[in-house]
This record gives sequence, structure tokens and C-alpha cells, in this order.
Amino acid sequence: MPCGLFFETYQKDQSIFPTWWLRCWMIALGVFLLAFPFFAQPISDLVGINVLNMFNLIFIYVVGAHGLNLLTGYTGQISLGHGAFMGVGAYTAGILANMGLPFYVCLPLAGLVAAAVGMIFGIPSLRLRGLYLAIATLAAQFILVYAMRNWEHLTGGSAGLLVPTAKIGSFEFDSDFKFYFLALAFAIMATMYLKNLSRTRTGRAFVAVRDRYLSAEVIGVNLFKYRIMSFGISSFMVGIAGGLWAYYITIISDEHFTLWLSVQYLAMCIVGGLGQVLGSIFGVIFMVVLPELLRIPTELLTGIFPNISDIFASLREMVFGIVVILFLIFEPDGMAARWHTIRAYWKLWPFSY
Amino acid sequence: MKKALLIIALMAAACLLLTPAAMAKDIKVGGIFDQTGPTGAVGADYQKGAVAATKFWNDKGGIDGIKLDLISNDYAYKIPEALNLYKKYKDVDRVYVIQGWGTGDTNALRPLVNRDKIVFFSASYDGNLTSPKKNPYNFFIGTSYSTAIRLAMIYAKEKGAKKVVFIYPDHPYGKNPIPAGKDYAKKLGLNIGPDEIVSLRAMDATSQLLHMKKFNPDFAWIGGTTPSTAVIIKDAAKHGLTTKFVINCWGFDENLPRLAGKAAEGRAFGMLPVAPFGADVPGMKDVVASAGGKNYTLHYVKSWVSVMVMVEGLKRAKKAGKLNGPGLRAALETLKDFNTGGLCAPITYTPEDHRPNTSMAIGGIKDGKIFLVKDVNFPRKKEYIGW
Repeated sequence: MPCGLFFETYQKDQSIFPTWWLRCWMIALGVFLLAFPFFAQPISDLVGINVLNMFNLIFIYVVGAHGLNLLTGYTGQISLGHGAFMGVGAYTAGILANMGLPFYVCLPLAGLVAAAVGMIFGIPSLRLRGLYLAIATLAAQFILVYAMRNWEHLTGGSAGLLVPTAKIGSFEFDSDFKFYFLALAFAIMATMYLKNLSRTRTGRAFVAVRDRYLSAEVIGVNLFKYRIMSFGISSFMVGIAGGLWAYYITIISDEHFTLWLSVQYLAMCIVGGLGQVLGSIFGVIFMVVLPELLRIPTELLTGIFPNISDIFASLREMVFGIVVILFLIFEPDGMAARWHTIRAYWKLWPFSY
Repeated sequence: MKKALLIIALMAAACLLLTPAAMAKDIKVGGIFDQTGPTGAVGADYQKGAVAATKFWNDKGGIDGIKLDLISNDYAYKIPEALNLYKKYKDVDRVYVIQGWGTGDTNALRPLVNRDKIVFFSASYDGNLTSPKKNPYNFFIGTSYSTAIRLAMIYAKEKGAKKVVFIYPDHPYGKNPIPAGKDYAKKLGLNIGPDEIVSLRAMDATSQLLHMKKFNPDFAWIGGTTPSTAVIIKDAAKHGLTTKFVINCWGFDENLPRLAGKAAEGRAFGMLPVAPFGADVPGMKDVVASAGGKNYTLHYVKSWVSVMVMVEGLKRAKKAGKLNGPGLRAALETLKDFNTGGLCAPITYTPEDHRPNTSMAIGGIKDGKIFLVKDVNFPRKKEYIGW
């Protein structure tokens, strides 16, 4: 029995699920994800967290985080504007939905408008890199949020914009349970898309631009084209996430799409693992689940000592910050790297050669 | 390392086991408070007041024997966080009443609250929440921001003002009452200057005030919280502005003289929907006793009254045999001139009008203390329901 992977063709080497063992696991995961909502309520009652809501948020954020991971992880461009791009998607979907357009038209348009806006703000990426680009996209964040807040007859201003629930025919995604399947479908689509994109010519061009842009240009990669394209695809995905978000929570205001959201997206990618499909998934799970878990002891201790609850309120934020810092120190390549180490260990176990 | 992991795992397991066990028969009340966010400066006292009031009513026997269980959570004024909390309260804790906080999230939760029939008390006195036609499940206890801003305009006019300016943060709480204020100022024939935006976390307002000085208004409305208001007042004194400031109810409290010093005296006037902490009114005895010797701001009193009204509603709902969301709403709508012991103006809700009251006091500052300048009253006109 071989210990390790021995591929004889390039096709096999490049396949997404190379071993039957992995395929079994993926089927098990699929069955679990499809069956999960039917058991969500008892689980929620047991753990004291609304798990269905948590999963929906994870799925929506996964779509967006994949987008930012493509830009930052694969193409090496920092964006601090993705929170606002998500807002552009959300507002596009919301405004079009209020005009009576069906859900399946609004959502792709949300992605396209976000992509267009993202590409416009991505133009400086031709000349700017690193911190400079971060500041340029930061401007996008402020300009867009300002527009959302002050373009009142379009966005509803600070009072927010009501969005109808998503509908396909007469089927309405009006509960967390129904929305789960919709969000899951999009999360899977986005994951498969990113995985496949990273294996194509375009994906390799992105990586070439990231690793050494001069060499990439020398071997014939059109830097401007791929940088803008990366901004476009990335904003498209985050725009779709915004559209889903608008349909999920049914009211949007500019306060959702702050700089904090942009930073959170970056944190998701970094904690999860830049430039890895699994990275954005792990990062999102971490960032969504940890605050929920931290709430449990806070809530419990507030019940016992009500007067020191404000200390625990800040403690929660602190613990969150500390955990993120510890991650960066002890696992700078993100959770995905740790996952690969663990997998490699079991693959070779008990003979580690 | 292994030991630490084990301890963490055990602690997590203990938390998971203990949470759902929390006293099954109590009436659970969801709490969405801001203790650490941009409005945390006034929100921390509000949360403490709510917790203390809950304890007070529980010690008095709760709702005819049923205890209240206030689940308090900090959401740092992040709307998505408020939505998460709301979904948890609804699906996991199965609450039918929530004590909430800000304008942004209260507005964001409106459609959900109506759909799920959950009574939502907010600390946001946003005028649009007072229309039961649009928001049948939203309640609050103070005079609405729009009524307050109209009263402020009347007060300014009485004091001989000709020119007014609105200063507020670019934030739902600050912005929402402004159209009502401008509309009424126009009606009164006041000359309105350009708006000034001062953020809730401002450390300096010099540029805005120098710009305002060109227009030189007699009165300016401030729709901020106490720290940002103190910055504006101090800078106004520094630059020698003669403008007087009327301040919305979250920007004027016992901390203002401490933060702004002498600058606040004769310059700052606050809209007071509730009596200041420790004021000489009959209802204040219990409030002060619950504070255990500590001195809080009037925001503590606000949440105290909010819990008091909720308790009254729950008692009436229980008597009617309908302890649920619609039952509580119907019970609250029977409140007529409900006496809070002078903590705030008598409270009335009807199925057509959720404005709790339309009168309040205006306070000033002297020797570092709040004193009452006068009581002001706005007629309860139908046309102002909902804005």
C-alpha cells in the first residue's frame, strides 16, 4: 500500500478531489450540510446560539471572502473597500427589487454593478501597490458610504432601505430555514468557481502578478488587464454577497458597510490563509463563530454578576483581538496551512516518511 | 498546553450546559445595549439602569410572581450584531419583548419585529416609530426627538432667536429628527443656516464652529451624545461664540458640566424627557436606592422608566390572560396617563398613537449641576404622528 500520493497523469494531479477517500468525505459533508437545517432548532436550544442564522451568515460571507481572497491572496492587491463594494451590491439588489425586478435578475446585476464600481476604484492599482493601494481603496470605502448615506431618494438615507424577501416563482425565501439552501448554493458555487479559476490561465496570471509583477510582465502577462480583472471578479463576488445579505436581512443601511466590515473581510482572509480556497472558508467560520461563542460566557456571567457586565462586554472584544493576534504569531499562514499540516500528518501516519 | 486546552474545553462545555438551564419559567426579556460602541458613553448607564430596574421589580415579586430574566448583551452599535442578537432572542430564547437601543438598529429591526410580533422598547425616541400603522410593535418612553426639536425651536423663538443652525453627527440618531426641526423652524419664521456635521467621536469642532460663526446663529441644535456635545460647547466658548445651544436628550446629562466645565453654564440647554438622577420627585427614591450609593446620569433613569412601563404592560397582559407579543402590545395600548412618579411626563399609548407624551423639561447648568429652566409642552396633534 502506497504511503503518499502517486499520480501518473497531470489530470490526476490537477483534479480537485484526487482520492476516493476525499470524495467520501466530501459526500459526507454534503449530506451533513443538506440535513443540518432539519436539526437546527434542537441544536440552537442546546448551545444557546441561533445556529441557522450563523450558518447563513457564514455562507454569505464565504462568497465575499472568496472575492477578497482572489484579490488579496491570489493577485496580491490589498483592498480596504470591500465592505463598501458589498454595500454597492446590497443597494443595487435592494433598489432593483423595490422596482419590482425578480430576485434572479437583481442578484447578478448586484454583482455586475459592484464589479463596475470595483474596477473603477481598481484603476489606481496599475501604479499603486501595497499600502498606497490600500489608501486608494480606503477612499472608495469613504466615498461610497457617504453616497449611500446622502443619496437619500435612492438609498433611503440613514433610515435604511427595505428589501422584499427573495422569491423564485411563488416560492419565497422568507425564513432562515429556506434561505439556508439558497445561501449554501451560492457558497458552493463561489467556492467551486474560485477553485477552478485558480487552476486556469487567468488564475496563474494572477499568481504571477502577485509573486513578481516585473517577471510576469516580461513573460507577457498584461499587468493592467489582470489587475483590473482581479478587481472586477473580486468585487463581483462581494457584490453577490451584498445582494444575498440584502435579501437575507431585508433592510439595509449604510451602517452595515463600514470600514470595520472591510477590515473584517481582510482579517477573515489573513486568519484563514491568503491565497487558499479553504482559507477564506476557515477564516469566515472563525470570524463568525468566535464572537458568538464568546457571548456565551459573557451572558452567563452577566446573569450572575449583573454589575460587572460592562467589564465583560469589553472583555469580549479584547479576547477576540487577542485570539486574532495569537493566530498571526503562531500560524501566520492561516488556518488553512495548519489544516494541511494536520492532513499531511494523518496521510503519512504512522510512517512519517 | 494540553492542560490549558482541557480547561478551556471544560469551561466551554460548562457554559453550553448551563445556558439553556437558566430558569425555564421566567419571562425572558432580550437586551440589546451599547456599552462599548460609539454611543457607549451614554449607553453604559442605560444598561445599568435596565439591569437594576429588572432586579428591583423581581424583588417586588415580578409580574405577579413570575420573575423577569433580562438577557443583557452589548452590540457596540453594530447593526449586524443587533440582528444576530435579535435572531437569537427570537429563536433560541423565544422572547416576546426586547429592551433595545439605537435609532439605526431599531429601524433596521422594524420589519422583523412586526412580522414576529415582538414588542420592542427602544432607547431611540425616533419620531417615525410612533406610528402604530407602520410600526405596531415599537414603543419608547420619552418625548420623541421630532417633538423635542420642535419644542427647542419654540423655545428659541420665545427667547428672541432669529437665526438657527443644526449641528449633528452623520448618524441615524443625529440625522433623523432634522427634517422635522427644519420644517418647524420654517413655520416659525426662523432663518436656518447651513448644517454642521460633528461626529460622535469628535475631539475637535473648531472648523465647524468657525464656519458657523460666519452665520452667527442665536441658537443651535445639537443632536450628539455627551462627549461630542462637550467638545462643541468648549470650542464655542473658546472662539467667543454668543450662540446658545439646545441639546437633544442623549447629549445633555450630569457629565456635561464635568466635561465642558464653565463653558456649559448659560450656554448649554438640554431637552430632558426624564428627571435628572436624584431629582426631587416621588418616583426617584426607588431609582436612587437601586443604584446602591452610586451616582448615575439621567440615562439610568430612562431605562428604569422603560422597564417600569414594560412591567406595567406585562402585568396588564397577564391579567388579560395574554402573556405574549400581541397581548403585551394590546395591554400597553391601554396605558392612559400612566404615572411614573414624576420620573417623566405621564405616558399614554393608544392603538392609533404611540407617542408616549409630548411634554418635557428644558434644563440648564449652574455650578456644575442641572437645574430646570422650564417645562415645555407640545399639543398632541394628529398630523405629527409618525414623524
